[in-house]
Amino acid sequence: MVKREELREEMERQRDEITRQRNEIIESIQYASLIQTSLLPQKKLIDKVFPRNFVLYLPKNIVSGDFYWMVSRGRKAYFAVADCTGHGVPGALMSILGISFLNEIVTMHDNLPANRILNLLREMVMKALHQTGDSTEALDGMDISLCIYDQEKMILQYAGANHPIYIIRGEVVIEYKPDRMPIGVSGIEEQPFTNQYVELKKNDTLYLFTDGYVDQFGGSEGKKFKFDPFRTLLLKIARLPMKSQKKILLETFEKWKGEFIQVDDILVMGIKIP
Amino acid sequence: MKLLAFRIRNFRSIIDTGWHSLSSDDITGLIGQNESGKTSILEALSSFYDGKISEDTLRSDLSMPVVSCLFSVDDDNEITDILKEKLLPAGVIEQIRTDKSVSLEREWNEDLSSRILLGGEKVVALFNKHDEGVIAKNDRIEEAINRILQKKKDVIASFQQAENERLGIETRLNDAKATVNEISRSLKVKGKKDAEEKKKLQNQLAAAKNKVNEIKNLLNEKSQEVQKLNKAVQTVAGEARYAEMSKEAWREFEEIQREQNEVFGRLTNLQRLYDHALSEKERRAIQLEMDGVNDRYMKLLKEYEQTRERAIKRRLLAYKILEGLPPAAAEKETEREKPHINPFYTRLEAGSLIVEHIPEFVMFEDFSSLLPNRIDLDDILNGNAAIEGYKAARNFLEVAGLNEAFFRESNSRILKQKIEKLNRDLTLDFQDFWQQRIGRHNKITINFELEHYDNTHPDKSGFPYLEFWVKDRQERLYPKQRSRGVRWFLSFYLELKAAISRKDFKGKVLLIDEPGLSLHARAQEDVLKVFEHIKDKVQVIYTTHSPHLIDIKKLYRLLAVQRNIHDDENSETVVFDAKSLTSASADTLSPIYTLMGSRLSEQQFIQKKNNIILEDLTNYYYFSAFHALLGYPPEAFFLPATDVSNVQTLVNLLMGWGLDFIVVTDESPEGLKTYQDLKKNVYGNNDNKIREKVILMDGFQGVEDLFSTLDFKKHVLHQRIGIPESNSDFVRDNKLSRTLLASDFLKSIQEMKITDFDEETRENIENVFQAIVERLQA
Repeated sequence: MVKREELREEMERQRDEITRQRNEIIESIQYASLIQTSLLPQKKLIDKVFPRNFVLYLPKNIVSGDFYWMVSRGRKAYFAVADCTGHGVPGALMSILGISFLNEIVTMHDNLPANRILNLLREMVMKALHQTGDSTEALDGMDISLCIYDQEKMILQYAGANHPIYIIRGEVVIEYKPDRMPIGVSGIEEQPFTNQYVELKKNDTLYLFTDGYVDQFGGSEGKKFKFDPFRTLLLKIARLPMKSQKKILLETFEKWKGEFIQVDDILVMGIKIP
Repeated sequence: MKLLAFRIRNFRSIIDTGWHSLSSDDITGLIGQNESGKTSILEALSSFYDGKISEDTLRSDLSMPVVSCLFSVDDDNEITDILKEKLLPAGVIEQIRTDKSVSLEREWNEDLSSRILLGGEKVVALFNKHDEGVIAKNDRIEEAINRILQKKKDVIASFQQAENERLGIETRLNDAKATVNEISRSLKVKGKKDAEEKKKLQNQLAAAKNKVNEIKNLLNEKSQEVQKLNKAVQTVAGEARYAEMSKEAWREFEEIQREQNEVFGRLTNLQRLYDHALSEKERRAIQLEMDGVNDRYMKLLKEYEQTRERAIKRRLLAYKILEGLPPAAAEKETEREKPHINPFYTRLEAGSLIVEHIPEFVMFEDFSSLLPNRIDLDDILNGNAAIEGYKAARNFLEVAGLNEAFFRESNSRILKQKIEKLNRDLTLDFQDFWQQRIGRHNKITINFELEHYDNTHPDKSGFPYLEFWVKDRQERLYPKQRSRGVRWFLSFYLELKAAISRKDFKGKVLLIDEPGLSLHARAQEDVLKVFEHIKDKVQVIYTTHSPHLIDIKKLYRLLAVQRNIHDDENSETVVFDAKSLTSASADTLSPIYTLMGSRLSEQQFIQKKNNIILEDLTNYYYFSAFHALLGYPPEAFFLPATDVSNVQTLVNLLMGWGLDFIVVTDESPEGLKTYQDLKKNVYGNNDNKIREKVILMDGFQGVEDLFSTLDFKKHVLHQRIGIPESNSDFVRDNKLSRTLLASDFLKSIQEMKITDFDEETRENIENVFQAIVERLQA
């Protein structure tokens, strides 16, 4: 009897300990989330450059491996949407690295084209993670779509690491395809990223996104949402006010997900060209 | 103010040197063969300063010499402080401030007199514009004066005509009156007799009287017209009075001017006759006449000034009155404005004032400037420059701070003590200044003593003289007992020292023909060191044949002078500056060749053209590889300096050899320094000129940075690590061998094509090579 009693006490003690530890971890992650959020660009900065915009940001956990970033330099706005390997804490750590590196690059180098920024970002990530291309090492890194928008000339530079972007003009979705390689070491030797120049028009809508939305399982058959329906959805809503777009995207997502769990962090950024 | 550049025209063998800058570090050497015109350049500069030239300076076509010198203006107010009494035409001061320099021109006249003018193309244009304005104003005044005089003439003519007409009418009236009288008389006589006759006469009388009345009316009208015109004449005469006075004053002035020219002509004729007079008697007679003419000329000069002043003043007065100002007010205003004193400087006035502030130009001549053994004190104190060694001895006294009063000390013991102390001080000062040695341990000192002639010199007995000694550790000898080299050094020291010790020292340009001709090679090199030592205070321009007086690292200091032979009769001195030494003949450049030992261009390594100087061997490997990959330019010879700091030496060598070259440097601190040094020393701080020859790889700290990071990793490092820093920083921080990486790369390109490199690398390399091609083609 004594033994059972002791065992129960011990179990309770352990349960309490685990609860305490869990709470501590959650508290600390919640605090980390605050830090992560504060590193993301403030809404008023985005509003200043693009008065009509939305950001749909749904971390899977408290902290996210997805991040968005924006810096304004003179008449140019530099912005990106990225997805770091993993989610939760490891992804968040990588995202902080990404944000810091991007800030460093635009501070240290004037007028680098978008592809050169990605080249340099890759060098920094590889150096930070001590990647040498050895086949045994982890392939940590990030996917990203990086844009530079010249507000005066209305020209957009885009360079992408595995992330495409969409531009909706009138009734057409124009897709700009990324280079098929990540920021970080991969199976093939690094190649320079390519720069794409796009002449934008007033009221073009630009979408940057991570793959969380299209990869979400759901619907009646529990399948992935996929790119085609996503593109069709965007085309349908592109003319609506940005707030409504965000609402519809969120509602559509929730509806699709249904009872399934969220598989990844979700990030969609929509921008109406002023 | 410092002398920056010169231009010499029509001086001995020189037709026009064009502008040539002095070396930026104030030591400028002129090299060239004998008779090339080196010395003429020094003489021309000396003449610029003192205005003296001789007949044999003139060219055979008798075009008169003009020497122009450009001086630095260091302070914005420097020129306005000098030219503060009057005004300068609009824009002149601003131009001088923008240029930070001022140009002076000395022009000679046929009588070998000269004048200094403020020069410079833009400044002269501003003066001309101003003068045109003044002329236009004078023309306007003259026109107004002529107009009023014409008006007066016209009014008088009208008046005279009216008066004549009036007189005519008066005559007619008198005639009519006479007719009336005659008829009246007849009526009295004949009317009594014949009634019919009476009636007839009465009718005639009435008609005659009518006529008289008619003419009276006419006369009346005419008289009124005459009166009116008379008034008009009075008015216009008043107005024209001042105009006439002005005309009269100008006539007088022009008359004096004409007479002055005539007398001047007579004076020059007499001078010519005097110069060629065959006998003393003839000369005396001419002299006598010349004195008389000269007096007249001097008087005319004075009159010239007076009449000119009056004429200018009267013209302005007339103008003011014609403009409607009452005469009294106009006179007051004219007096206040002092129109006879031109408120603006002329180029001549400005030039003459500025020249007072330029550095002193001194020609240091070996032979007349050597220290004598002894010299009479009287000769020094009386300025007897013809005496041998006068200049050196005078310099000596100046350095020692001695004047007449010093030698008036009656107590000979005190005087001896003073001299002894001075000898000690001077020696110390000399050693301090003169750190070079002649002979390893053989420092020399200079002493002087005051002695008096004894009765072995009966004509000078008792007169004081100075005796000089030159001492070293071993012996005490008279200057003339020492070698010419030592004497030269001493005299040179005294010349410099004297100049610097002057209270009014305002800088000096020392012109030295063949310095230390008699010096040993090592001592000649010492001369160069002395130039270095004094260059902050004394600018030196020297001629030389000696390679020992050329610093191979500083060929930018040289101007090459040579004689271009057009035909048997005609030849002309031309000057090449450091940048264009390549155009000078091999003979002209022979001292440089001697210095270099052998002609590099005769070897395979360096060619006559298309040489590209690079910072070091690393650059050499990479550029050779890039050249092979690109396949252009067809001919390029890369020359590596041993280090970026030696690029300038290589530049000097190639300039010296007269070989064409361009330079490529990067933007590292050392590369930038080299670029700046070349710009300052070789290209006269001219951005355009250096850009023609030197390519600065903009934005690249090292040649490795021409590669994109990816290509550098792939083709040079053969690693996949992340390199966020620049390639050159990576190589340095990881202590990799630059040269080894570069040479391996060169070896590895056999199988490669330029398209194997990414766009960033290709663009960088192509940009640099495009710049090379452009410069080689230029």
